[in-house]
Amino acid sequence: MKPHFTGLLAGVAALAASSTFMLPAFAQEQPLVIARNLEINSLDPHRAFCDTCQIYLSATYQGLVKLGPDEKSVVPALATEWTANENQTQFTFKLAPDAVFSDGSPVEAKDVKWTFERLKNVKGDPSFMMAGVQSIETPDDKTVVINMESPNSEFMGILAAPYVGIINSDVAMENGASAGEDAATADQAETWFLANSAGSGPYVLQTYRPDDELRFVRNENFWQDSPPIGEIVIDQVADAVSQAQMLQSGQADIAMQVDPDTASTINSPDIVIETVPSYNFIYVVFSPGAEANQVPLDLEVRQALAYAIDYQGIIDFTVGGEGKMQASPIPNGFPGTEGLPMPEENLEKAKELLASKGLDKGFSIDATVASMNVYGVDLALLMQKVQQDLSRINVTVNIQPVASAVWREQIVKPGIPFSARFYAPDYYGSAQYVQFFGMIPDSWWERNAGGQGKVDVVNQREVELLEKALSSSGEAMEQAYHEIALEMIKDRIIVPVVSPNLVLAYRNDIEGVRYSACCNLPLAEISRK
Amino acid sequence: MSEVAGRRHQISLPQWATLPVVVGGFIVMAWIIIGLTVPLWAPYDPTMLAGRRFVPPGAEHWLGTDALGRDVFTRTLYGVRHSLPIAAAVIASAVVIGCTLGAIAGFVGGIVDEAIMRLVDVTLSFPAILLAMAVTAALGPGLANAAIAMIIVWWPIYARLMRAQVLAVREREHVEAAIASGATPSRVLFKHILPLCWSPIIVNATMDFGQVILLAASLSFIGLGAVPPTPEWGQMISDGALHFYRWWIAAGPGIAILTIVLGFNFLGDGLRDYLDPRSP
Repeated sequence: MKPHFTGLLAGVAALAASSTFMLPAFAQEQPLVIARNLEINSLDPHRAFCDTCQIYLSATYQGLVKLGPDEKSVVPALATEWTANENQTQFTFKLAPDAVFSDGSPVEAKDVKWTFERLKNVKGDPSFMMAGVQSIETPDDKTVVINMESPNSEFMGILAAPYVGIINSDVAMENGASAGEDAATADQAETWFLANSAGSGPYVLQTYRPDDELRFVRNENFWQDSPPIGEIVIDQVADAVSQAQMLQSGQADIAMQVDPDTASTINSPDIVIETVPSYNFIYVVFSPGAEANQVPLDLEVRQALAYAIDYQGIIDFTVGGEGKMQASPIPNGFPGTEGLPMPEENLEKAKELLASKGLDKGFSIDATVASMNVYGVDLALLMQKVQQDLSRINVTVNIQPVASAVWREQIVKPGIPFSARFYAPDYYGSAQYVQFFGMIPDSWWERNAGGQGKVDVVNQREVELLEKALSSSGEAMEQAYHEIALEMIKDRIIVPVVSPNLVLAYRNDIEGVRYSACCNLPLAEISRK
Repeated sequence: MSEVAGRRHQISLPQWATLPVVVGGFIVMAWIIIGLTVPLWAPYDPTMLAGRRFVPPGAEHWLGTDALGRDVFTRTLYGVRHSLPIAAAVIASAVVIGCTLGAIAGFVGGIVDEAIMRLVDVTLSFPAILLAMAVTAALGPGLANAAIAMIIVWWPIYARLMRAQVLAVREREHVEAAIASGATPSRVLFKHILPLCWSPIIVNATMDFGQVILLAASLSFIGLGAVPPTPEWGQMISDGALHFYRWWIAAGPGIAILTIVLGFNFLGDGLRDYLDPRSP
C-alpha cells in the first residue's frame, strides 16, 4: 500500500504542478457561460432585431466600420479607409486586403454590395437602416462606392450597427438567400441562418437551440487578433433571480439581466457587480390605430394619460431608483437631447384634458405586454405601476401579459392600444430613433401605432426636420434633432418612462466585460484572468 | 336537576362530526367568512400602494409589502375571493356535466355508454395540468378561461364515478322490482338509482375543491390564469418568485393555499368516513 500511496501523491503533485503552468491557456479554453434571456426573433442579420441579436451579430459578423472605444466615433473594421463627398451623398470605402470570411474566402466589394441590397430589399425590421441608399458600385474587388438619394450625415454611424455586418454572399446565395428587389418573398435563407453564420467576425455560430442556448466557437480563420475565449455559451435563463443564482453557484460566468434589487442581495466576494448608466430605455406606447380602442386615443387623451404617470415613482418601483428619466425617444446623451424638458406628472392637467374630451368619468384601455424582464425591469410589473397611476384619473388599464413572440404578432395586427416595450441603440446617432419611433411615413411605430394606415399619425414636421438633420452636421444637426425630439414629445405616441442603469454582474476571474452602445456585450473582448 | 344534568352529559356530537371534519370545516368556514367580509375590514386596498416596496413583515404590514408596495397580508386575504368562487364554479359545473353524462352512460348503456366513456378516456389520458394549459393558452389568459379549462379537465372524473355508481345500483333488487312494477325509465333513474349514488360524488367534490384551487394557482403561476394586478394566490407566488430573496411575498399566499387545501382534504376525509365507510 505504501509505495502506491507515495506514487499517488507524486502523481497528484505532478498534475497540480503541470496544471499550474497550463492554467491560463486551459482557462481560456473552458467555455464561458453567460446567463441571459435569449429572446431572439431571428439570426438572419437582416431579419433579426433584438438585444441578443446585437451580441450575436457583432460577434459573428463585421461591418465596414465599428463603434470606437469612446462609444461615439467610428473606427475601421472591414474598411481600412473611407471618404465622403461634401454633401454626404457619396461614400467610398477601401476594404482591408487581408480580410477573410470564416470559410477562408476573401471579403470582397461584391459581398458588401450584396449585403446592403439584401438588407434593403428583404424588408426586415432593420431594413430602415438602408433607407436612402440609391445605388452601390464596385469599381474593383476592394472598393465600394455607395450613392445616397439624399444627404445622410449619419450613414457612417449606421454602418457600425451590428445589423449591417457583411455576409459571405456566395455561401448565403447557395443556401437560398437573395438580394434582389423581390427578396422579401424570394429569400429563403432565414432557416439556414438559424444554424449557420457567414461572416468574418471573431466567432462563428456553433449551435442555436431556441429557448435553450446560443453557442459560439472561435473563428479559426479570423484575420485579426484571435479572441481570448475559445467557446462561449449564452444560456437561456429567463429571470434575474435564476441568473444571480447561476452566477453565485459558478454555473454562469456572466449574468446579463440582474436587476438592481436582486443585485443588492448578492454578497459574494467572487462576484463583481458594476452599475453603469446605459442608453437603453423602457417606454409606454399608445396606438390610436389599434382595433381594441374603446375611445379614440387622440392627442389630448394621450397627453392626459402621459401627465398621469408618476415617472419618478416608476424609477423607484421598477429599478429601485437605479435609473433616470428620459425626455424623448432619443436617449439622453445622443445628439440633440441636451436641454429637453423631462416628462412631467401633472394630475390636474390630466383631468382637465380628459374633461375637455368628455372623459372625466374615465374609460378602459387594454394593455398587452410581453411577460419579460428587460434591463432589470419586469414589464408586467411596470404596467401595474402605470395602472395604479392611471386609476387616479379613472382610467382602467386591463393588463394582459403574453409571450414576447405573441406581442410581436399582435402589435402589427390587430394592434395593442397601450403597451410597454424597450429599446437599445444600434449605433451612436439619433436618426435611428427618428426612423424607428418617429411619426414619419413607414417608420416601425408609425405603421403599428397607426394601425397600418387606419389612423393618420404622421407628423410632417418630423419628416422635414429629419431631412434637414441628415443633410447637416455639427450644431445645425444637433438643433434639428432637438426640434425632432420636441415634436416626438408632443406626439405622445412613445412615452419613455425609465432609462435603467445597467447591472454588469460577473465572476471575478473574468475581465473585459463592458456595455457597448451598439453591441450590448462585445464577446471578443472578454477573457479569463 | 341531577337527572337533567346527567342527560346533558350524555349528549354526544353527531356521528359525522369527527375531528377531521370539525377542523377542516372550521378552516373552510373561516376562509369563506374572510372572503365574504374582507372588503369591510381589510387594512389596505389590495391593488394600490400601501407603503414602501419590499418592507419585511412587521407591525404595520403583517406579511410585508411586495415590489409595488402593496400589502401582502391584504392581498392574501383578498385572494380567497378569487380562489373559492372559481373552485366552486369548476366543481359545480364538472359535477353537473360529469354526473349527467355518467348517469346517461351507465343507465342507457350500449353505444351511448361506449361513446361517452371513450370521450372520458381520451380526456383523462392527458395530464390535467397539460390539458388545462393547452385550453387556457388557446382561450387566452384570465380566470374565466382558466375555469373553463379546469371544467374540461374535471368533468370526466365525475362521469366515470357516476357511471360506476349507476351500474352498481341498477343491479339492486329494489330497482329490478321498480322496473317489474312498470316504472318509467326516468322514474327508475331519478327515484330509485340516483338518490343512492351521491355519497361518493359529494366526498370527491369536497376533496377536489382543494385540487382545483391548487390547479388554478398553478395556472396563474405560469401566467395563464389571473392577470395582474388580481390578488390571486398563484399570481402572487409568481411575483414572489421574481423577488426570491424577499421570502414574505410568496409566504402569505403559500400559507393560504396550504391551509385551504388542508381544510378541504380534512373535510373530504371525514365525510368519506361517514358517507362511504367502505372506502379505505
